[in-house]
Amino acid sequence: MHYCGDFRTTYRKDMEIFQTPFIKVCMAVFLVFLLVLPVLKLKGEYLLKGAYLWILLQILIASIGAVGINILTGYTGQISLGQGAFLGVGAYTSAYITAKLGLSFWVGIPAAGLVTAMAGMVFGIPSLRLKGLYLAIATLASQFILEWIFLRWESVTGGSYGITIPRPSIAGYTFSTDRSYYYIVLAVAIVMILFAANLMRTRTGRAFMAVRDHYISAEIMGINLFKYRLLSFGISSFYAGVAGALFGHSLKYVSSEQFNIGVSIVYLAMIIIGGLGSIIGSIFGAVFMILLPKLLSVVTEAVAADYANIAKLAISFEHGIFGLIIILFLIFEPDGLAHRWKMVKAYWKLYPFSY
Amino acid sequence: MGRKMIRMAAVAACTMFLFAGFALAADIKVGHLADLTGPTSSVGNPYAKGVQDYKEYVNAHGGINGKKIDMQMFDYAYDKNKAINQYKAYVEEKVVAVQGWGTGDTEALTGFLAADKIPYLSASYSAHLTDPAKAPYNFFIAADYSTQLRAGLKYIKDGWKEKRAPKIVFIYPNHPYGIAPIRGGKEYAKELGFEILGDEDVGLKAIEANSQMLSVKNKNADFAWIGGTTPSAAVIIKDAKKLGLKTKFLVNIWGNDEDLIKIGGAAADGVLGLQAAAVYGDDVPGMKLIKEVTKNEHQNTHYIRGWVSMMVLCEALKIADKKGQLNGPGVKDALETFKDFDTGGLTSKITYTPTDHRPNMSAKIYEYQKGKLVYKTTIELPRKAEWLGL
Repeated sequence: MHYCGDFRTTYRKDMEIFQTPFIKVCMAVFLVFLLVLPVLKLKGEYLLKGAYLWILLQILIASIGAVGINILTGYTGQISLGQGAFLGVGAYTSAYITAKLGLSFWVGIPAAGLVTAMAGMVFGIPSLRLKGLYLAIATLASQFILEWIFLRWESVTGGSYGITIPRPSIAGYTFSTDRSYYYIVLAVAIVMILFAANLMRTRTGRAFMAVRDHYISAEIMGINLFKYRLLSFGISSFYAGVAGALFGHSLKYVSSEQFNIGVSIVYLAMIIIGGLGSIIGSIFGAVFMILLPKLLSVVTEAVAADYANIAKLAISFEHGIFGLIIILFLIFEPDGLAHRWKMVKAYWKLYPFSY
Repeated sequence: MGRKMIRMAAVAACTMFLFAGFALAADIKVGHLADLTGPTSSVGNPYAKGVQDYKEYVNAHGGINGKKIDMQMFDYAYDKNKAINQYKAYVEEKVVAVQGWGTGDTEALTGFLAADKIPYLSASYSAHLTDPAKAPYNFFIAADYSTQLRAGLKYIKDGWKEKRAPKIVFIYPNHPYGIAPIRGGKEYAKELGFEILGDEDVGLKAIEANSQMLSVKNKNADFAWIGGTTPSAAVIIKDAKKLGLKTKFLVNIWGNDEDLIKIGGAAADGVLGLQAAAVYGDDVPGMKLIKEVTKNEHQNTHYIRGWVSMMVLCEALKIADKKGQLNGPGVKDALETFKDFDTGGLTSKITYTPTDHRPNMSAKIYEYQKGKLVYKTTIELPRKAEWLGL
C-alpha cells in the first residue's frame, strides 16, 4: 500500500532504491519470475525454448551494455558511438584469456571489464576538449580504429577467422546449454544493474549528473571535469566489456563481424527509446530493441505463410516498419519508456482521484 | 444405417489422418537459411533456388530412400541475429542438417554447430572451416577461398612467358571475407616467384576506385587479384579501363558471374574469373538435368553451386539413412565417407575425410570474352597438409 503523498521523515528514507514495501515485494516476485521462467514446463515441455530462450538471454546481456552506455550518455552527457567496439574489446579479451591462455571464464569476465575500461578511458581523453557532435565523431573514430584492430591483430584476435571460445564451467560442470548459462548472465546482470543504480546515489553519480547538466557550474562547484568524464568513460566501458564477454561466450565464437557500427547505433537507440538517464529505462530499451524485430518477423512470417506472393515484400518492409515505430515513439514519447512507466505508476497510485 | 456410414467415414478419416501423421513423421527435416532480401540477395537468390530446386527434384523422384525431405527456406536477410534465432528453432525441430549461406551466418553459428552436432553446408568457403579440429560440423562443396586464389596464381604463372617476375597487387575489402585468403595467397605467390607490389582496399559498397586504380597504374602491376563481390569488382574493372590500365585482373568466386557482364560491360573483357562449378549450358553430364528442371532458362552460376550443395547433402542423407543413423552425427559421418564423389562434372570430384573437410583442391578458370564466360582450364593443386585451414 502506498499513501497518497510522500511521507518521509529521514534523508536515508528518501535515498532508498526500493522505497516502499510494495515495491520490495514486486521486485522479489519479479526476481523469482526471472529465476523460474527458463525452467517452467508446460505439458512436459519447456515453456521457453530455442529462439525464445536465446532472446531472453540476449535481453539480459544487452541490458548490461545499455546500462553502461546510459551511465556515459544519459547520466554524464557524453555521447558515444563506440559502444559496439567496446563490447568487442570485452569479447576478445575474454576470448583470448579463455581460449588462448586457457584460463577460466571467471578470470576472463572481470579482465574483459578492466581491459575495456582502460580502452574506454583512452578513447575518452578527447572528451576533455570535445562536446556533443564533436565527441560523437571522436568516439565514432574509436569504433573504426578498434574494428580495424580486431581484424588485423591476428595473433590475438584470430584476424578474419575469429576465435572459438568455451562456455564457462565450475568444478567439472560446464554451462553448455543456454538454459544453464542464463543463470550466470542473470546473476551478473543483477549485480551490475544494482551497482549502477546505487552508483547514481553516491557523490560520483551526482557529479556525473552535474557535469551533464552544466559543466561550467559543475567545475565551479569543485568537480574535476576531466576526472569525472574519464571515470564515466571507464565505468561505462567496464559494463560494455562485461556485456561483450558474456555475449561472446553465449555465441561460443568471437569475430569482428559481430561488433560493427550497427551495434553501436542499436545501443544508442536502446537508451534513447528506454529513457536517457534512467537505469530502468536502459532495461526497457534493451527489451524493446531486441523483442521488436522478433515480433515483427513473427508477423511477417505469418503474412508470408498465408500470402506467398507478397512474402518477399513483407520481409523487406520489416526494416521500414522497425524504423517507423522508432520515429513514432520519439514523437509521442520523447522521454522514453521510463517516463511512460512513471506515468502508468502515477495513474494507479492516484486512482481513482487523479488530478 | 446413416449413422453407421458416418462412423465408418470417421474411422476412415482418422486412419487416414494417422497415416498422414506417420508419413510426416518419416520426413527428413533439414534447415535452410537463405538471403533473399538482404544485402547479398543478388547472389543469394539464385543459390537458394538451386538448393530448393534439387530438393524438389529429389522429392518428386523417390526422395531419400522413399522419405521426403522437409526443408523450408527461411529468409534471414543477412541479419545474423535472425539467423541465430532461426537456427535455435531448427535445433528444437531436430533438423539433421542445415543448408546455410554466407560469411555472416556461418561465422555466427560455427560455435553452436559442434556443440549441437548439426552439419552445416555453407556457401562461405573460408579456409578455416575446412579444418575439422576447429569446425567439425562445417562443410562446403567448393575449394576454399585460399585454395582458389592459389589455383588462380598458378594459372597466371603457368601462362607467364617473360623472363622477369610477374608483378601482382591484391585488391580486397577490409572485411573478414576479403582478408581470409590473403595470407595464404601471398605466401604461395612468393613461392611461385611473383613480385608482390602491395595491397589496395576497395570496400564492398564502393562506388568508385579511382585512387586505388591510379596507384595500381603507377606501380605498373601486371596482374591484380580482386577479392570482393560482383558490384565492387565491376567498379574496379570499370575505373581501371577508364584510366587505361594494362593490368590483367583475376577475380574471386563471389566477384564474378553473369552480372559482371551486365554491370561492367566492355570492361569485363579479358578479366579472369575463378569458378568452382560449371556455368549454365556447359557441356557436362550433370547439366542435362539442370536444363530439364529449369526448362532451359539461363541460371546464374551461383545456382549451380546451390544445386550441387544440395546434391551432396542428399547423397549423405541416403548413406546415413541406410545405416539407420539419420541424425546430425550420422550425416556428418556419411559426409566424411565421400571419396571422389562425382557431381556429374558440375564441380570437381568431392572428398571429405574425418581430418580434412577440403572438398577438392581445384578451381576452374573462366575468361570473360565479348559478354561470355569462356572456360579455360581447371587447375588442380596438391592436397598439402600444411595448407589445411589456411
